[in-house]
Amino acid sequence: MVQTVGGLEVRAKEELFINLEPLQRGGIMPAEARKAALSYIDGYSTCDYCVGTLHLIKKPPIANFLEEVAGFLGMDFAILTNGCREAKFAVVHAITKPGDAIVVDANRHYTSYVAAERVGLAIYEVESTGYPYFQIKPEGYAKAIEKVKAETGRLPSLVLLTHVDWIYGNLVDAEKVGKICEEYGVPFLLNTAYSSGRMPINGRGLKADFVTCSGHKSWAAGAGTVGILAIRKEWAEKVIKSSKEYKVKPIEILGCSARGSSTIALIVSFPFIKERVKHWDEEVKKARWFSSQMEALGDIKQLGDKPHNHDLIRFDTPAFDRIAQKHRRRGYFLYEELLGRKIAGIKAGKTKAFDLSTYQLTNEQLKYIIDSFKDIIEKYS
Amino acid sequence: MREKIVEKTFDALFALEDLREILRKTAPFDLTKEQVEEARKVLAKVRKALDEIEREMR
Repeated sequence: MVQTVGGLEVRAKEELFINLEPLQRGGIMPAEARKAALSYIDGYSTCDYCVGTLHLIKKPPIANFLEEVAGFLGMDFAILTNGCREAKFAVVHAITKPGDAIVVDANRHYTSYVAAERVGLAIYEVESTGYPYFQIKPEGYAKAIEKVKAETGRLPSLVLLTHVDWIYGNLVDAEKVGKICEEYGVPFLLNTAYSSGRMPINGRGLKADFVTCSGHKSWAAGAGTVGILAIRKEWAEKVIKSSKEYKVKPIEILGCSARGSSTIALIVSFPFIKERVKHWDEEVKKARWFSSQMEALGDIKQLGDKPHNHDLIRFDTPAFDRIAQKHRRRGYFLYEELLGRKIAGIKAGKTKAFDLSTYQLTNEQLKYIIDSFKDIIEKYS
Repeated sequence: MREKIVEKTFDALFALEDLREILRKTAPFDLTKEQVEEARKVLAKVRKALDEIEREMR
């Protein structure tokens, strides 16, 4: 019988399965954060001692936390947003106007594009190198900026780089892109949804004017959604400007953003985040080992950066697709076989290619996953 | 009385989160002897909190 709560199936994915879903691995909360989120679960729980705006609240210590986060990211100021997408939109909306141009990478998250669309920008794209590496080369940004100049007679109003993309887990040399932006005098937004919180980030060192972060994706902060927008002080007046009527309310985040347990989760997870980014090299090592073991199974090819530099890994998997062609459950067989081995997170129906994350899994768990894939191949060969 | 019951309710809930953490870190394998021992310590905390709640309600 399925256990339910309030008529919904109880979600015990992390307790019963190894979860490989790249969207979820970096957002798994440590016990202390779950405890804190539980006690702050009610609406507006952060606002018992409201001082007019969320980012200035001292109890719970949101203001102090944001100061510390700004330093942690090598930036001057940080404010909370409802997510990374809202952080990106806040910047795009604050510093561009309809008809301006923006340069984005081809591996961008859709929300980067939509944020630009919402403001009415002309979107110029930096192409990837295509199959099988799909890399974004920093010099592509110089070409794209030149293209904007040639076609519009003006520089783009903003450059956006997806530091690590959501499809291939490619890590782009952000510092090189930052230098290009500096040379042209174009503001640089670094989307770190898949990097900050997992690996060390120094926004100033990377020459970023804005760093956007996802709490629920990479900072072990669930309990809702939450993001961080970190900025350099030169932009504070423009991006964190307040309403004329409501003096303490920053316009771009509509005054206050994540007003509840997700913010609490972010604060309580922070010591855990500061510690875990120190071990990023170990995560990369595990990801590379896993990738090599997958390819050794035969007829499986890792896409993206090689050697890989991130826990999010995408594979072309003809080995599984061949089985799917003959299996009565077709593409669903792999999902079901894995579920039977208590492995979740590979999307149902995917056998041609799939992505997964090895983030914070133990060597024992990773070996078990490899053995399970091997078992499945052997079972049907 | 109420303060004590509330405090012990949270103690029990928090201890159960510690138990959940053991399960999360070890999925999908059976618990080792050390992990079972750790889980027992957590259960003792939960029981202690529940006993104190019961005592308060007498």
